Formats: sequence, structure tokens, C-alpha cells
Amino acid sequence: MTSPFRTFAALAALALSTGATAQEEIRIGVLYPLTGAAASTGIELKNAAQLAADLINGTDKSLGLPLAGAGGLPGLKGAKIKLVFADHQGNPQVGATEAERLIAEHKVAALQGAYFSTVTTTASQVAERNGVPFLNADSSSPALTQRGFKWFFRTTPHDELFVQNAFEFLRDLQKKKGFAQPKRIAIFAENTEFGTGAAKLQERYAKENGFEVVEKVLYPPKGTQLTSEVQKLKASRPDIVMQSSYLGDAILSMKTYKDLGFLPTALLANDAGFNDSEFLKTMGKDGNFVISREVWALDLGAKKPVIAKANALLQARHGVNFNGNSARAFTGVFALADAINRAGSTKPEAIQKALQQTNIAGADLIMPWGGIQFDATGQNTKGAGIIVQVQDGKYVTVWPFDLASKDVIWPMPGWDKR
Amino acid sequence: MTRRSPALALALAGLAAAVAFPLLATKVTWQNAAILMLMTAQLGVAWNILGGYAGQVSLGHAAFFGAGAYVSTLLSVKLGISPWLGMGAGAVVAAGLGVLVGTPCFRLKGHYFAMATIAVGEIVQAVVNGSDALGGAVGFNLPLGETGFWGFVFNRSKLPYYYIALGLLLATVGVNWIVNRSHVGYYLRAIKDEPDAARSLGVSLTRYKMIAMILSAGLTAMGGTLYAQKELFIDPGSTLSTGLSIKIALVAILGGAGTLWGPVLGAVVLTAIEEATRIAFGGTGRGTDLVVYGALLVVIAVFQPSGIMGLFTRRAPRPVPPPEPEARFP
Repeated sequence: MTSPFRTFAALAALALSTGATAQEEIRIGVLYPLTGAAASTGIELKNAAQLAADLINGTDKSLGLPLAGAGGLPGLKGAKIKLVFADHQGNPQVGATEAERLIAEHKVAALQGAYFSTVTTTASQVAERNGVPFLNADSSSPALTQRGFKWFFRTTPHDELFVQNAFEFLRDLQKKKGFAQPKRIAIFAENTEFGTGAAKLQERYAKENGFEVVEKVLYPPKGTQLTSEVQKLKASRPDIVMQSSYLGDAILSMKTYKDLGFLPTALLANDAGFNDSEFLKTMGKDGNFVISREVWALDLGAKKPVIAKANALLQARHGVNFNGNSARAFTGVFALADAINRAGSTKPEAIQKALQQTNIAGADLIMPWGGIQFDATGQNTKGAGIIVQVQDGKYVTVWPFDLASKDVIWPMPGWDKR
Repeated sequence: MTRRSPALALALAGLAAAVAFPLLATKVTWQNAAILMLMTAQLGVAWNILGGYAGQVSLGHAAFFGAGAYVSTLLSVKLGISPWLGMGAGAVVAAGLGVLVGTPCFRLKGHYFAMATIAVGEIVQAVVNGSDALGGAVGFNLPLGETGFWGFVFNRSKLPYYYIALGLLLATVGVNWIVNRSHVGYYLRAIKDEPDAARSLGVSLTRYKMIAMILSAGLTAMGGTLYAQKELFIDPGSTLSTGLSIKIALVAILGGAGTLWGPVLGAVVLTAIEEATRIAFGGTGRGTDLVVYGALLVVIAVFQPSGIMGLFTRRAPRPVPPPEPEARFP
């Protein structure tokens, strides 16, 4: 029986040594998957969040975002923001435990995280129980803001909005560019939460918008061939394929399309595998002309200089560009800092109230959004997605048209004409 | 009797310490770690009946864990039935599933049985993933909000979860102890060590393996219900994954499979290492916690291949092959 207590003692020593923090800081707990399968994403998110905090704590005002260069939060006499990072390993139970630890031991004023929708679910429950604001910048499951939580705020748009965007894009093509309206849609999706959820929404919105769903194929994402699935798609003669795939199956499906000579008017992908940096590396020219929804793109910097400036800062520090995930994490820290600053206090109730009254202008964000303003469920109502197309091996923004850097290439040119 | 008294005293002292622990250690992190230890230990002890005593190494126990979590959650979300009744129902469903799995799989020997159970776990996960009625890949959220004992949701304090987990662990250890002392225990060990000799003496292999399976599956499912009620969110990834199955087996094997207290010890050590390394190094994002965790596992596997429990029993004079001499008399 001595062994457990010895280990407890070791545990205690560790807890104490990491638990001591200065008093005049504003501590924000940040939960990301820092180890495990999504570790590389988690580290990107961590770096982006830390960059945001350092900008707010520093005195360089050149970026031009509110609070950047403020030397701490003016509403709290220049108190500095300290991000306390925790690793949830992509495990919902660990996420809940770590959230509780950050609240109890580090006395964090608010929490941010957690990228995985499943972990966000359990970690935000802990925040809700303890009455601590939870800002979610990067989980897109619609269910998260349907729980009636009072302490949960989400800055990113969720999956439903992304699906709506695709149909708005099609409508805009017809209205503003005079393209012939395609009618036949085929839905092609992997069969876990991501794909099945998106497929359901796409089916619903297709019908509401007067399209005909001619085929719906769900496939297991770990399969080694998609030949029969693609043959089914081809046989249904769709104008548009709406596809939700992870990286491996996205690449496999594209190769199969080419092998079987399947060429719809357009391929509208749902982010994920199609936007992974590995996708274009593997596909080369065959990856061109894919159209995908995105939350952010580097070429937005042409019309919104703050994006290019922020990206230069991240490049200087870590040698990587922002992407949709890290840009949202960065924005999350600014949104929290804005609320805490206006609250003028680290009391949870004051921050909660300030978050409810958040009204950040679109111009003050590095996102292509109308701004940040939360509805009663905690969802940001001014979020928006963009649509990108691969042109010459790069993702370029093609919609909304006022943010677009290039015209959309439509219909998709044949496999032999690349 | 004289040989048993120190063990009994030790057990009682341990129990007293376990009861008093959360009242003395009021820090949430400690209480959380302790609850995690108790829950993990309970799963290891439940696994031990089948994997330890009967020697049927299952790497698909997440299926039973998930059955417990899903049955109680479905009953409470859809029909408003108390999770306590759901816990019983989950145990029955898991035991049924165990019989279903055991009927064909108990014909397989050694590694082939373990491989078959991996397949079973994966199949159950795939089925739940694809079923809208079972929440599909999205899973279920249980409503927050304190409900008192009967509703099995406690917000204000960790203590109810702690004592429920402790109670469940004691009950599971109790079942293990009874099995261990009864003729079933002898038969199971015989089946494990010398299946052909056992059969030649008239021991029905399938029947006694099945008894072990039913007990093991049912108790694992009860742990699943507790998990669902504590985390208030279940999905296939968190309650049915093969990673969970491996963890359950790991706890028991690390601590000492086939011993009464081995799995408990394994859970305490494993959870302590996991939590301590994560708290100390997890925020760095360099994976240091997992490196330390892995290294410690390797150390234990190399120096204590029979499990941590071996540290405490090594000095006891005993012939080498047959284990558990102290259990020879009732």
C-alpha cells in the first residue's frame, strides 16, 4: 500500500511546481491536441494562439488590430495575458479532466479550445458546470451550440453554414456570372461523423434549393479502393459532385475519377482532405480545378492587408503560413482578450456579459467575416466561409466575389487538358 | 489464519485510506486522478476474471464497456429510466453479447482468441458508427444539471462519483474474490494452465469460460455506465475504441494478471504515471509525457514481466510453476 501514496506524493510535487503563477496576469487556459494523431495541427494552433497573446502583451502597434501592441489589457491596468496550455490528446475524457485542472489549479479566467468537436463537448461541459467562459474558435459540429449552454461561445461558423455557402455560391454563379444552373447533384462522403453529417445537410439544402440529388454514396474512409463507388457516381451522370473526404480517400477518389474518365462539371469539396497540404503534393496537376470550401486563404491578404501582415509575423517566428485552423485560433485569443478588456475584470460573470455584448468589426479580424457578434446560443452570427479553387497548384479564393483574387474556372477542364 | 491476518489488516487499512482520501485531498486534480484510478482499476479487475484467471486474453472489452455506456444512456435519454437501472440493463446486454462472442470464439486458442476479440470490438464500433438510432458517429450528450442520487448526475461535488467508483470497484473485487475461492476459480486456472488435462478430468471448458465471460462482460459494462454518467458524453471514439480495449488489458497485465490485487495496482501506477507526466510535460507539445510514459512501461515490462504484483510476492516461498498457493484453502 505504500506505492500508491508514494506516487501520489510525486503527483503532488508536480502539481505544486507547475501550479504556481503570478497574480497580476490574466490566465487563459488553452486546450489543444498537442500529442497524438493531430499533434501537428495542435502545435500550429498553439503557436498561433501564443503569437496573438504576445502581440497583445507587446508594444508593437504596426499590425493595426485593436489591442495588438497595447502592452497588456488597458481595461485591467495593462495586465498581461498568460496562456496556460494543456494537452487533451484528442481524448474527450482527458479534455474534461484538463479543463477542470486549469480551472481549479490555475484559476483561469476563461478557456479556449479544443479543435476536436468531441473534446470541445466535454471540456465545455466542465466550463459550464464551473461557470467559466469557454471560447471555441475551431470546432464545426452544429450540435455544440444547440445545447443551451450559457458559458459557451463559438467564433467559427459551423458545418451548416458551410453547406449553405456552397449553394449560395452556385446561385451567385448563375445570377452574377450568368452560368447555366446545374441541376443534378451527387453526394459522395466518407461514413464517419464528418461525412455523414455533411451529406445529410447537403441533401436537405439541395432539395430546398431546387436541385435533384441523383446519387448519394457513403464509403468507409479507410478502404483501399473506391472503384465501385465511383462507377456508381459516374452512372448517375451528375453535374456536380459534393464530396466530403479525408486526405487518403480524397487522393484515392481523384485517382479513380481519372482512371475511369469521370468528369463532372464541378467537384465541390468540403474542406478536410482536399485542403490538406499533402493533397496537392501528391496529386500534382490532377489536383487542379477542385473547388473547396475554406475558412481562410492566404490570398485574402491582397484585399485585406492585415492578413498579409499577420502572416508575415507568423512566418518570421515559425516559418509557416497561417491556415484556416491557426487563423481561427489566433482570432479566438483576440476575441477573448477584447471581452476581458471590456469587462475590466477577471470575474467570470463580467467576462460572460462582455462576451454576450461582443461586437468586433470585420475589418478588425484576419478572417473573411462580417465580424464577431454572438447570438443567444453563443454562436457568432457574422461568420462566413469562402470558396477556393486549385489553380496552377495553389488555392485561390473565388467566392465571395468581392474577396476573390481569381475568376472561377468552370466547367472543370478534362483530365487530358492539364 | 496467521498468514491471512496481515493481508486482511493491509486490505482494511487500504480501504480506510481510500474512504478518507477525497476528504483529505480536496484538490480537484487529485480527486479526478483518484476517480480515474478507481474506474480504471475496476475495468482491469473485471477483465482479470476472463483474461487473468481463465487466461482468455480479450482485446475487445471496449465492446462491453460501450454496451454499458450506450444501454444506460439510451434508456435515460429516450425513456427517462434511471441510469442505475440502466446499469443493470447494460450489464445484462453485455453479458448476452459476451455469450454471443464466446460461443464461436472460445473454440479458438491463445492468440487466435485475442485476434477474434479485436475483430469483435471493431465490428461493434463499426455498427454503432453506422446506426442513426445509436447516435451514429456523433454519439449522445446527456443533460447536465444536478439530479441527485437516483438521476446519477452530480455537479456540485466530485465525492459522489468517487464513492460510486470505489463501491463499484469493491463489488468487482468481491466478485473476483468469490470466483477465486470457489470451484469455478480452480477450474478456470486449470483451463488456463492445462486445458487438455482439465477436459480429461471432466471440466467443461466452454461452460466455465462462459461463466468467466458473463461476469467479466457484465462488470465491464457497469464501468461503462459510470463513465457515461460522469463524462455525460459518449461516442464510438471514446467508449468503443480498440485503444480502450488495450488499455483495459494493459492495466491488468501490468499489475499482474490472474492475481486479485494486481489489476488495482496496475491501474494506480498507470494512471499516476499518465496524469503526472501529462500535467508536468503535456503543455509543452513535445510529447515528452508520452515518451516518459512509454519508457516506464518498458522498464516495468523488462524488470517485472509478471506484473508489479510480483514485487510483493517474490519473496514468498513457492514452487515455480503453479501460482496462487495461498488460495489453495478456502
